[in-house]
Amino acid sequence: MDSTIASESPKLTSATSGFVLAAALTVVFNTALACVKDTSAPLKNFMKSLTDHDWTTQGLVDVLLFVGLGVVFMKSRMMERTNPIHLIVILVVAVASAGLGLAFWYAIF
Amino acid sequence: MGCEGWSHVKKGTALNISSSDVILLAHAAFGVLGCLTAFWVFVETLNARPANAGRIQAAALLTALLMTAGWICGGYWYVHFYPHEKALILGGPWPFAHNFFMETKEHLFFVVAILAFLLPITTRERLHSNSAARTLVLSVAGLIVVTGLSVEAAGAIIDHGVKIALLQDALKGTHSWIPQSLQSLRN
Repeated sequence: MDSTIASESPKLTSATSGFVLAAALTVVFNTALACVKDTSAPLKNFMKSLTDHDWTTQGLVDVLLFVGLGVVFMKSRMMERTNPIHLIVILVVAVASAGLGLAFWYAIF
Repeated sequence: MGCEGWSHVKKGTALNISSSDVILLAHAAFGVLGCLTAFWVFVETLNARPANAGRIQAAALLTALLMTAGWICGGYWYVHFYPHEKALILGGPWPFAHNFFMETKEHLFFVVAILAFLLPITTRERLHSNSAARTLVLSVAGLIVVTGLSVEAAGAIIDHGVKIALLQDALKGTHSWIPQSLQSLRN
């Protein structure tokens, strides 16, 4: 790295922080929804009725949730004070939990 | 190649590639390319400078576009063509290729897609001078590579589940076509 470049304080913009937190929450929500719809036939049928396939509905809901939460968090002043390292840890833990959680769920379900 | 060989090539067996095959292979190809561009972002970010900021952002945007294309192709194929293969897998020797690998893959893919959409947002930070932003981009790109390749591996296992189900049917004589190489294995 160029040593002549001055380092900034390790902060993220509110847009980046907001969408990182939105991604972490969406990933956890996606895993929870996958498990719940497997145990709830009415929910699965409702999701199927919206787009002809519950998987398609789940994908669209995930994208809408990610964008919606991202915009809400971006406008929130709270995100400006959030420690970036905490956000990164939250995201990594959320993704690892989602992957392992889905694998565990479909191994036993 | 002589004239005889050339004419053989010209007269050769007609390609019989269905739209289902094209869509499925495009889905896998877009996924692999998306993982490669995420890895490209990872490597460029390790050496982040003002000079490569534009390249990092372009690679991140390309990752999102490739994963979106993989999602569209995979989603269309899954909804329209997979039910036939699912029935084959569940009747074959590897039902877990659907029950575990496909079920996990189809939901883990959404995680890959969300991370791919996040990547271009994170690369808008001044990476060369912000260590937290660099750590974030390295984390997101690394997670895309790991989860994306896991999804690709699951796809290969699902494909093998179909293959051995068909081979089992062939050995039982369910299908009229049985390759010469399998004739000796019958009974």
